[in-house]
Amino acid sequence: MPAANVAAQVRTSLATLKASDLQDAQIMEVLKLAHQLTDTMKLFFSSLDQSICQEFNYIADYISKTRDEIAALRPNDIKTERIPTAGAELEAVVTDTEKATEVIMSAAESVLCDDETDYDTYRANVEARMMEIIESCSFQDLAGQRVSKVVSSLRHVENRVSRFAEVMGVREDLSPNEETNEEKRNREQLLNGPAIGGPETSQDDIDAMFAEAGDAPDLDQNSIDNLFD
Amino acid sequence: MAVEMTMPILVVDDYKTMIRIIRNLLKQIGFENVDDAADGQEAYEKMQNNKYGLVISDWNMEPMTGYELLQKVRADESMKSTPFIMVTAESKTENVVAAKKAGVNNYIVKPFNAGTLKAKMTAVLGDF
Repeated sequence: MPAANVAAQVRTSLATLKASDLQDAQIMEVLKLAHQLTDTMKLFFSSLDQSICQEFNYIADYISKTRDEIAALRPNDIKTERIPTAGAELEAVVTDTEKATEVIMSAAESVLCDDETDYDTYRANVEARMMEIIESCSFQDLAGQRVSKVVSSLRHVENRVSRFAEVMGVREDLSPNEETNEEKRNREQLLNGPAIGGPETSQDDIDAMFAEAGDAPDLDQNSIDNLFD
Repeated sequence: MAVEMTMPILVVDDYKTMIRIIRNLLKQIGFENVDDAADGQEAYEKMQNNKYGLVISDWNMEPMTGYELLQKVRADESMKSTPFIMVTAESKTENVVAAKKAGVNNYIVKPFNAGTLKAKMTAVLGDF
């Protein structure tokens, strides 16, 4: 029952008591005090109802605003459009690269295995195969364009995620993440993958490696050779 | 002792293209008896049934890496003396140190050329 109704009910009861023919001065005094208390309680419960209502309104507004913000981020677009498209583009890059490699290697192998005794035929075959190799290199242009699209999609996702974190007031959790099985295996098997920019060359790097294993930078072929001398 | 040019060589890589490249390079060098495997597990099984004069292995493969293969080979009496060259894009010093400790005979970083492969094979097998 709302507080205002309770207060009204108490007031009605008090009024009934007052209207009855009570002569005792003390009872009348108590009733008067009770009446004052009821009025006070009425004000208190009214303000209480109002503050709760305001709180709920605030929460409702916040939820509504957050929902609008999330909708503006278009998460479904990322899930159904951006990520699948980026994946398809990368798969296409792999396929194009494999096809081009196949053509180039087949052409090279054909030339290496060709009969050199018939010079004119040999030359014609070499020229034809070289043209195939040149044509196949066009994959690089397509692959470049596809990778650019993927990079663009990744930036888009990055921006959306950053905006979402900002809207939600997400604070960075600096505690270390629990290592997954895959991460554990990669660590144990030293699966680091190719270094960006290629390996470096320096005897100092090798020396540092033996002095502080694990902290030195990547090695190039010459540096590795020195380890086996 | 001279290197037998007909000796079987096992090339281990999960990329068929890389196997093909190494096969072609070995052919140019003069080795045509080349077998291949797609990962360490397959290579180890082949090594249990065949004797190879040299193993040329990638590092990063699943389910068994080249590093695991190297460790298993060196722990197996029947094949522990098989020359083993790691050919990989893993060029961190920790990788090279770990491979050397595990008993690798030489280490080549990708990309590489026929000259590098021949030089490392010569270092491991002797002149041919």
